[in-house]
Amino acid sequence: MALLEIQGVTVRFGGLVAVNDLGFAVEDGAIHGLIGPNGAGKSTVFNCISRFIRPDAGVIRFSGKELACEPHEVILRGIARTFQNVELFRGQTVIDNVLLGLHAAGTVDILRGALRGRGARAEEARLRTRAAEVLDTLGITGYAPGLACGLPYGVQKLVELARALVSRPRLLLLDEPVAGMNSAERVDLAKTIRRIRDELGVTVLLVEHDMSIVMGLCDMITVMNFGSKIAEGTPHEVQHDPRVIEAYLGEDAENAPAC
Amino acid sequence: MLAQQIVSGLAAGCLYALAALGLVLIYRTMDIVNFAHGEMAMVSTFVAHTLLARVGLPYVAAAVGALAFSALFGMLVERVFLRPIQNGPLISMMIMTLGLFMVFNGAAGWIWGFDPVSFPYAVRGRPVVVSGLIMTRDSLLVLGVTLVMALGLYLVLRLTLAGIAIRATSQNAGAARLMGVPVPRVYSLTWGISSVLGAVAGILIAPTTFLSPNMMAEVQIKAFTAAVLGGFSSLPGAVVGGLLLGVLENIVAGYISTQLKSTFAFALIVAVLCIRPSGILGTPPRRKV
Amino acid sequence: MNASNNDAASPTIIRRAVSAISSPGGRLASGGIVLVLLPLVTVALDRAYVVYLYDLVMVYVIVALGLNILTGFTGQISIGHAGFMAIGAYASAILTGRLGLPFVMAMPLAALLTAAIGFCLGIPALRLHGHYLAIATLGFGVAVSQLSAVWEGFTGGYQGMKVPVASILGLGFNSDLRYYYLALAVTWLMLAAARNILRTRPGRALMAVRDSEVAAQAMGVNLAKYKTASFAASAFYAGIAGSLYAHLVKFISPFDFNLGVSLTLLASIVVGGLGSVTGSVLGAVFMTLLPHVFSRVKNLPLVLTGVSLIVVVLFLPHGLVSLPWRLKQAAARMRTRMGMRGATRRGTA
Repeated sequence: MALLEIQGVTVRFGGLVAVNDLGFAVEDGAIHGLIGPNGAGKSTVFNCISRFIRPDAGVIRFSGKELACEPHEVILRGIARTFQNVELFRGQTVIDNVLLGLHAAGTVDILRGALRGRGARAEEARLRTRAAEVLDTLGITGYAPGLACGLPYGVQKLVELARALVSRPRLLLLDEPVAGMNSAERVDLAKTIRRIRDELGVTVLLVEHDMSIVMGLCDMITVMNFGSKIAEGTPHEVQHDPRVIEAYLGEDAENAPAC
Repeated sequence: MLAQQIVSGLAAGCLYALAALGLVLIYRTMDIVNFAHGEMAMVSTFVAHTLLARVGLPYVAAAVGALAFSALFGMLVERVFLRPIQNGPLISMMIMTLGLFMVFNGAAGWIWGFDPVSFPYAVRGRPVVVSGLIMTRDSLLVLGVTLVMALGLYLVLRLTLAGIAIRATSQNAGAARLMGVPVPRVYSLTWGISSVLGAVAGILIAPTTFLSPNMMAEVQIKAFTAAVLGGFSSLPGAVVGGLLLGVLENIVAGYISTQLKSTFAFALIVAVLCIRPSGILGTPPRRKV
Repeated sequence: MNASNNDAASPTIIRRAVSAISSPGGRLASGGIVLVLLPLVTVALDRAYVVYLYDLVMVYVIVALGLNILTGFTGQISIGHAGFMAIGAYASAILTGRLGLPFVMAMPLAALLTAAIGFCLGIPALRLHGHYLAIATLGFGVAVSQLSAVWEGFTGGYQGMKVPVASILGLGFNSDLRYYYLALAVTWLMLAAARNILRTRPGRALMAVRDSEVAAQAMGVNLAKYKTASFAASAFYAGIAGSLYAHLVKFISPFDFNLGVSLTLLASIVVGGLGSVTGSVLGAVFMTLLPHVFSRVKNLPLVLTGVSLIVVVLFLPHGLVSLPWRLKQAAARMRTRMGMRGATRRGTA
């Protein structure tokens, strides 16, 4: 069954059509790749799912129900995400960043927070236990008390992943998860992503330029170019699709999906 | 009655427009709102008064001298206080100009005293009456000077190389730098011009408000309002906003209450920001997701 | 060799002393004792008028805390916070003086009214960013001060209005010394509340709004809700402080809440440290004492305030609260540099 369905989605910025009548489905339990040359509209699709951008046409359905909510309600539906150029809360500690991933799971408001009654303390303790658990899963417990902005880039990416994962989402959107990492870190992270799917049952939709990661990790791949879908299939099918090869011609050899 | 209110409002509006032009010019180029703009103008006006009363220069020479001073003063302030933090967060720059506001305001009192001093009108003589509407000669001059300054600024920005450099920098400082525009010098120049615009407003308004360290407080808030009204990102908007504010405010003063002028300005700011945050002529800022 | 040993030893002693005092329990206990005894010692030293200053400091600590919640923690600049203080002060004065309400009811009511107005101002502010918000709040502050002058029937206009002595269950807080303990209790409550907010879910959400609006939304933080809540909470603090101020000075007029006061408030959180509870306290103490220490020369406090803002922006971006850390860092740098010089000398020898 499809967890996420995108049908006829079109986004225009002024005269530019960033996404054109796009349609694809992400199966429940899949690791689904969304690839394409720079400017193909991949991040725009993510921003539509996050509701930062309202499509000019088309429907996005999540587990059968239309996604038509405010951006801050998306996480309540079970969709969490990371960002292309790490969007951590730079002035806060790692543990606080991860605790923010649990914002939607808490209920304490300013008034209850100020009074700090038994309920508020119990909730805080519960959230902290959960956050520590995720930090441990990703092996970054040691960084917890430090400020987020001073960390190495690879660690920042892991913190961002922890922040997305902590809310126990059903769908995880990863925007270029391995960009800026070295090759050892890349392989590690690919393993982690697979583990997240296998052990936690989280469906993953990812945008990525590193083709060896994409081809090795994804069950299904959707290829975009100039805002439209040009191909779809298993990694093997996509690699041999002439339209995909054509779209990537002139791109960096490193980026081309051939292996 | 209404026509007279409008005409009288235009003269005040011109002064707001001049002050607002300086604010907008800096905002467009450097993304800084200069809270010390009014106080810098006040300092230049005091310099004009010193040249006039102490040194004994004729009016025009004193004015020119004061404007030259204001240009240097503007450039100096940018170089010393704003350039070191130009890549810092927005709040730092705002706090910096607020700090300068306090220092200039306080120090001016030490140098030139705290009591209001009278400042001569540029022109004297009987008011001019055109088809029943009365205009003082001074407000005619204000109108003329504002038009000349606004037009001059427009031509400089359109036609001269320096103007093109300023416009390029305000659109994209990084790209301008790559294209060989000396961005630091553009910032200097912008502050110089802005400071002169403020000084002109100060010299023209001093005869009515009297000369004192606090003379620009009111004008500064009005200049902000004018800039918001016209659109903080638009130079023509500053002029339109200034004139409109001058007229509207005079109507409010005439028909409702003179005491509520500033409150009216605030209400106008909130109204504009709620209905059309980009102002009358500004372009809405693009927000990246 | 001896000299360098001494150099190394003295910072260690200081560090030990600092860490002993700054252990949580030690800090609370020693701080509490000092604060309770402070006015008594001051009176004993025949400096009774200084107690009034202590009272004033606490008023400004409360407003600064509120302003820091809004500006330092949520990233929403306000240059009109004296306006909120004015609303709290006038409301409390009118509730007690004209309507005869007891102080214990008037203070929270005044603060709630201020919070409601803060909430309302927060709604248009949702659409404003950075400079625009600064200008709008500046306008708000000026407008409140002007309105309080115009509504003579309510506020006594420029003539000002008298404020009755605060009393709780018949105990009148009519001396600065008595008022000190009232203010201390209120300040302690407000400080504890601020710390609680900032250490839990709502506080993290506010800081998330400051650090990245996009990511905050993706985490489920409702921007509109938290920004308006921040305005309301900040105004609540200003309302409490306004009420406390009114019953301390017992006479208020529009001049007490003009633009200059708003700027001083902003200055105190910047100088103390944006986004820091301790910073709010330090800044408020600094900014309240400054005009009294340098009151002999006209305008000197104003200029010094401006200079301290400029110095902080240029050289100490995180405010006074970061000073110990910065000094420690500088000391460490110096030590490594001296160590390196020693090493080279040895190397050449």
